[in-house]
Amino acid sequence: MSPFKVLVVDDERDFLESLVRRLQRRSVDAAGVTSGEAALEHLKVHKADVVVLDVKMPGMNGIEALRHIKQLYPEVEVILLTGHASVESGVEGLALEAFDYLIKPVKLDELIERIMEAFDRRKVVGDLAGSPPPKQG
Amino acid sequence: MTRPYANLARRMTIVALLVALLPLNGLGLSLYYYYNYANTQALKEELRIRALNRASAIELFLAERTALLEVLAHGARLTQLSNESELANLLSIMNRRSWSFVDLGIIDKDGRHRAYVGPYLLKEQKYLDAPWFQQAMQKGVYTSDVFLGYRQVPHFVIAVKHENGSDSWVLRATIDSDVFNRLVRTAQVGKSGDAYILDRQGRLQTPSRLGGKVLDPAPVDLGSVAPGSSVVERTTADGRQVLTAFSWICGGKWLLVIDQDPKEILGPLNLARNVELAVLALASLFVVVAVFILVRLFIRQLQRNDEERAAIDAQLAHSARLVSLGRMAAGVAHEINNPLAAMSELAGEVQDILVPSELAKLEEGEVVGENLERIQNQVERARGVTHRMLKFARRMEPHLEGIDINDVLRESYSFIEKEALFNNIKVQLDLSPNLPLIKSDRAQLQQVFLNLMDNALDAVGQGGRVRVSSRADGAWLTIKVSDSGPGVPADLAGRIFDPFFTTKDPGQGTGLGLSISHSITQRLGGSLELENHPGQGATFVVRLPNSPPDTP
Repeated sequence: MSPFKVLVVDDERDFLESLVRRLQRRSVDAAGVTSGEAALEHLKVHKADVVVLDVKMPGMNGIEALRHIKQLYPEVEVILLTGHASVESGVEGLALEAFDYLIKPVKLDELIERIMEAFDRRKVVGDLAGSPPPKQG
Repeated sequence: MTRPYANLARRMTIVALLVALLPLNGLGLSLYYYYNYANTQALKEELRIRALNRASAIELFLAERTALLEVLAHGARLTQLSNESELANLLSIMNRRSWSFVDLGIIDKDGRHRAYVGPYLLKEQKYLDAPWFQQAMQKGVYTSDVFLGYRQVPHFVIAVKHENGSDSWVLRATIDSDVFNRLVRTAQVGKSGDAYILDRQGRLQTPSRLGGKVLDPAPVDLGSVAPGSSVVERTTADGRQVLTAFSWICGGKWLLVIDQDPKEILGPLNLARNVELAVLALASLFVVVAVFILVRLFIRQLQRNDEERAAIDAQLAHSARLVSLGRMAAGVAHEINNPLAAMSELAGEVQDILVPSELAKLEEGEVVGENLERIQNQVERARGVTHRMLKFARRMEPHLEGIDINDVLRESYSFIEKEALFNNIKVQLDLSPNLPLIKSDRAQLQQVFLNLMDNALDAVGQGGRVRVSSRADGAWLTIKVSDSGPGVPADLAGRIFDPFFTTKDPGQGTGLGLSISHSITQRLGGSLELENHPGQGATFVVRLPNSPPDTP
């Protein structure tokens, strides 16, 4: 597997920790944080290629976090994850250039497939752009 | 009409009747009584004037006759007057212009006739003790009351005394009763009235048409008669209601009485007055009938409006409930999805750890592995449920999209499938394949189809048959739901789509289902109708416009 980095953002600890471990078992360089603020802090210091972002969180919610991430780190692909399926947040998310929108619970294999698709797109975009984008951590 | 409406109707009727009838009748009746009063007053005044007028006429008559006699008594010589042929001549001259004297006589101071001309044998009579003679000798001029006298015929006389030093004599004339009576009779009003003269003792001086001959007492209480002229309403001795004018004449010597039957004059006026009463009664009757009818119509309309509004409110509440139900379902689903996701990951991690080689080391490794797999399956099953709930919730919000009718029908059927099976009801889906997609609202259509299918199941009960069909008919898509139940009774068929109307037992439904379905289909540009075959089951027909969905 390519050495790409994944950041998972979700306030549900059980889910978060288990998922991160399982990804690591599959040789994905995965890290996890429990809030949108923490995610932004993490990205300041560490690199990430794909962010898996829960939509409904206390404090900064997923859509807000998405907006900030896309502003500060436009090359990062974001996959939105949520327990409820409101059409509005889906449409909003995709309008803010989220890569995809998935409803929990998601099978791990499907999630990893999506992450790889997101990474592939990033690679293509990055290659087309020529040089690595600015503001890399 | 239900109770509160009946009460309102009654109160409105009472108020309207009072407001309309009281002034109407108040006005009508007061006019009636005033009319009566005004007429009577006018009549009384007329009578009074007439009495004054006639009284003057009578007094003038007597005054003229008296003057004539005075001229004679003081102007002619006794020798002339004592000569009977001369006296006769004078009498005829006096009567020439108008006949008024019956006889004429000279009586000396001892009360004995010196001369007499007239139809009676009075030449030898003595009058010394006669009251009229004594009055004449005393007063000089005297008009007597009516008396019988020697001639035994009711009459009255005018006497004038002539004094010549120590000698005196009286010239006496009798007034023709017929002439005088006729004069008094002219005071009578109408055919039913009466006019007569009474003396101070209340005796008739002239005949009363209705009440007596001359010198009979008249039934009039002289003590209660006012001085001068007056008009009173009184009841005569024989019970008639009359207007009576009294007028004292000749210095209070005689009383002129004129009786008038008001009904004779007022008769035609009274007819007008009675017509007014009749019109008043008719108008009141009309008002009463109109009020009853109008109040009834108004209340019925009010009731209908209230029902319509209640139905609309119920529909709105129903829709609102569905929407909030959808939202609640979404909330629940979301709450469940998070734990499910956690469970899936945690079990998955265990599966990651317990790879087949590890499981083999365990004594019951097979069971462990299988259980983990089954846990994942159950999570998957729960996920299916929540995802379906979320899809359902999303559809509760109305929006138009491209719809496959057959799909919606099949989905609606899936909801009632178990119940049909349980009641042994055979449901046949006869759906025309390749129906065009139409632009409509999925959730609302599902509501309509579900309602019709539910009703069909209720109608057939155990072991019946229900058939659902779909067809494309040019501009329309036609969906029919028929049942093998008893159908709708013919007299109720017209009301089947009315709000709150139901043929089920109380408590078995609000009676709103068909009403709501009907308005939904109308709002979607279609129609819902009943093809009723009483005794052979009912068929509800939904028509939807075959308008293609907007291209995505």
